[in-house]
Amino acid sequence: MTSPARRPATDRPVIVTRDLRKAFPAPRGVGHSGPGAGGTHAGQGVQAVGGVSIEVGDGEIFGFLGPNGAGKTTTLRMLTTLLSIDGGTAEVAGFDVARHPQEVRTRIGYVSQLGGADDLATGRENLILQGRLYGGDVASVTERTHQLMALLDLGEFADRRVKTYSGGQRRRLDVALGIVHRPEVLFLDEPSTGLDPQNRANLWDHVRELRDRGTTVFLTTHYLEEADALCDRLVIMDHGEIITEGTPSELKRQVAGESVVLHLRPGADGDGRASRLLESQPFVRELTGSDDQLRLYVEDGSEALPQIIRILDGADIGVRSMSLSEPTLDDVFLHQTGRSLRDAGTRPTEESVA
Amino acid sequence: MKTVTDTRLLFHRYTVQMLRNPVWLFVGFSTPILYLVLFTPLLHDLPGVRGFPTGSVLQLFLPGILALLAFASGSSAGFGTIFELQSGLIERFRVTPASRLAILLGPILSGLVMMTVFDAVVVAVGYGFGFGIHWLGLAVLAVLLWLLAAMMAAFSTATALVTKDISSFAAVINGINLPILLLAGVLLPISLGPLWLKILAHVNPLYYLVAASRVLAAGHLSDPAVWQAFAVLVPLCALVLVWATRVFRQAVS
Repeated sequence: MTSPARRPATDRPVIVTRDLRKAFPAPRGVGHSGPGAGGTHAGQGVQAVGGVSIEVGDGEIFGFLGPNGAGKTTTLRMLTTLLSIDGGTAEVAGFDVARHPQEVRTRIGYVSQLGGADDLATGRENLILQGRLYGGDVASVTERTHQLMALLDLGEFADRRVKTYSGGQRRRLDVALGIVHRPEVLFLDEPSTGLDPQNRANLWDHVRELRDRGTTVFLTTHYLEEADALCDRLVIMDHGEIITEGTPSELKRQVAGESVVLHLRPGADGDGRASRLLESQPFVRELTGSDDQLRLYVEDGSEALPQIIRILDGADIGVRSMSLSEPTLDDVFLHQTGRSLRDAGTRPTEESVA
Repeated sequence: MKTVTDTRLLFHRYTVQMLRNPVWLFVGFSTPILYLVLFTPLLHDLPGVRGFPTGSVLQLFLPGILALLAFASGSSAGFGTIFELQSGLIERFRVTPASRLAILLGPILSGLVMMTVFDAVVVAVGYGFGFGIHWLGLAVLAVLLWLLAAMMAAFSTATALVTKDISSFAAVINGINLPILLLAGVLLPISLGPLWLKILAHVNPLYYLVAASRVLAAGHLSDPAVWQAFAVLVPLCALVLVWATRVFRQAVS
């Protein structure tokens, strides 16, 4: 890369949408609506996206988390000029998507679920063609291809045909194809679908590195772990609408805080002393369990733990073990919709385009 | 300018892909050769039958094969498009600032070059069996073949973008291909048929190409069938290209 240092992030949002909407014609199965998928009926069409307003800041990894059919991919396809916008506005990298699609295209990169690299061509050939289509001249595109091969650990495979690539290698090539023209914003649609845990972690590292070099990353995912581990900020989407928004830790805190599980020494809490003591503490929201095992819901687990230890120690109540479990984003989804994200549909190809 | 550069880039991409896929090359070469070897012998006793034009069988039938090749290579273009839609390739190209016309023309032009190579092989093989070559006539015929193949390829690609899946696309294309082929007089001259068939054939663009191909192969450049074929194919080809570019912009965007 020519600019090794992180580009200073500005306050100017890179993606702004206001009340973004999309409906698909009702008949002719859109190819989705599995169980729990699809949107609500609006007039004649099926509403896929119903009024999405977001702001994505410069240089952050922003995620759309939701079950299949939630409208994540549809939103992403509108932002990347692939799908017409029915209502509302979207601005990407400073340009209105509907009015200046060509300006937007030169400033964004897009990696679809499918990837779309040429199987019969080598990785290098794929990258060179892509760079040339973005208007780069032969010399600069060749140079850029070298950099990308190194950046995404593709060097050894550069001159092999893509059909010989493993899933992880192919995905890294897809990402390389998406950033060949140094876009301001990179859109990733379900980036780690089909990857094993090791390749997934590896991909996340690469995405973080891109972010650290100043690229804004917008991704959709239905993997809780991915949203949690990778996103600086995210929205949770369901039925074409945004349910909630925040950093992963903010979102998790809005649910039930964290829970602390205490195992007391046998007989230590014979008269319910420990329960009464802890229940009266201001930081304890709720307490369940009895006898030797107690579960406490607290605002902030890491602050609560030392206090709990001090209190129990002071009262001479023996503790055998203590564990802190954080709520997951699934708890957030469950809290907001009454359904678990894990059950809400796991087919990887959502709303695969009308 | 961008359109020219992009078309050249994509033309190159599609040509390389084709050359790396030997199955396509094999099918492309074997089809016309099979027609020549397995069908031409059936026609041997036909000259002299009432309604059958006079002349050697090969002289009549070989131009028809070229027309058939142009039609088939064009109308099968959409199968590749369906595959590229499903592999995400089309989407990857569409999200770049590449010219939309170039995304359509790249594969079409590449297909035309391949077809021309196959045509040359057919003519060469035919020459070995006694087909008389009229260079100027064949050159003009090549232009007509490109027009028809480009038109059919654009039509087929656009149909693929609209139907989006292989089964509906195949149904539409096969449904359209059969009547066009039967009414073109490729295998047997329409002049053998009754009047209503001859009238019906005149709404078929392929009919004009087949008629022109026979007179051009014989070197009769001033035959009315030649200008008639141009008069039908040039505007039709332009029209279909415009429509297909529109479909490319809209149906998927």
